[in-house]
Amino acid sequence: MHELSIVDAMIKQVEREVRESGHDGHVVHLDIVIGRLSGVNVDSVRFAFDLLSPDTLLEQSDLRITESKAVCLCEACESRTEIDDFVAACPACGSEKITFEGGQDLFLDSIELVD
Amino acid sequence: MKIIVAKKILKANDQLAEENRARFNQANVLVVNLLGSPGCGKTTLLEALLAKLDGRAAPAVIEGDLASSIDAERIEKLGVPVVQINTDGACHLDATMVAAACAEIDLDKIDLLIIENVGNLVCTAGFDLGEHLRIVILSVSEGDDKVPKYPTIFHKSDALVVTKTDLLPYSNFSVDRVITDMNRLAPKARILQISALTGEGVETLADWLANQCRRDGG
Ligand SMILES: Nc1nc2c(ncn2[C@@H]2O[C@H](COP(=O)(O)OP(=O)(O)OP(=O)(O)O)[C@@H](O)[C@H]2O)c(=O)[nH]1
Ligand SMILES: [Mg+2]
Ligand SMILES: [Zn+2]
Repeated sequence: MHELSIVDAMIKQVEREVRESGHDGHVVHLDIVIGRLSGVNVDSVRFAFDLLSPDTLLEQSDLRITESKAVCLCEACESRTEIDDFVAACPACGSEKITFEGGQDLFLDSIELVD
Repeated sequence: MKIIVAKKILKANDQLAEENRARFNQANVLVVNLLGSPGCGKTTLLEALLAKLDGRAAPAVIEGDLASSIDAERIEKLGVPVVQINTDGACHLDATMVAAACAEIDLDKIDLLIIENVGNLVCTAGFDLGEHLRIVILSVSEGDDKVPKYPTIFHKSDALVVTKTDLLPYSNFSVDRVITDMNRLAPKARILQISALTGEGVETLADWLANQCRRDGG
């Protein structure tokens, strides 16, 4: 459950960003991006968020998660296929001569505060 | 109102990891993050490796465990400087813990620092410690299907050590399968086969690290 430490770091980061912006309002929406191949589980992030957000600026905030895609590159058929997970073979031709690109994101996109 | 942040989560960890790396570079220390599941043989490999350095590098070790100082005591017996980190339940080391441990090590007196991470094939992957090399260990007794089952950690490693190769005759473990899977996930990663028990292959790892110490150390 490394998601716990990740969410803990994220909450602290959001509170810092809000403070530095000169506001102190409650966070209504929080947009984050998690890559499909980042090894960070979206459900675990939500679970950790429910656990850690009470008594912070993010209590009851709407956590919106965008999952960024990854691409499987095939040396055999030269195709680029979007994938949701690491795959063992090229989804287009079945070749195992493949590599992966992208899907490693883990970032805070935007914070929306009460007016 | 909306604040556009567009910053990495774990920025705090990543920043501190960069600071660690800058300190290591300044002191000409090559830093290795040693990863693998509990019991895969990290400490045993470390013991065998340290014995094979033969003065070609001045090493120190950071041991990461949830609790106990069992591993640090094993390293201490070899006369190598060692610091034990207890994570108190956390399933991985982070850059803060490593920075704190480094306060106990004289970086100017060493040129190789090996960090044995907490035994875990999942959580350790996401935390940059400031290392130069990530080496993941997979032991024969774990089975040859682990690379595609725990892809993230293998994808992010610079080298894979298949250990406990002395057990190959007693198992159906296919080294070829592991090599094929690893080439797909991390085409640039180096793959080594080692038995820390018989010592087979340890020399290759020792040579590789010792050479890099010299190169990076200038
Ligand atoms: N047969 C064989 N056994 C090994 C080898 N390397 C380690 N072992 C055994 O595997 C067990 C675990 O080894 P450790 O080195 O303590 O494993 P570890 O990865 O450091 O374990 P944690 O720190 O608890 O995660 C011990 O009983 C070792 O003797 C090897 O090359 N061959
Ligand atoms: Mg150990
Ligand atoms: Zn293909």
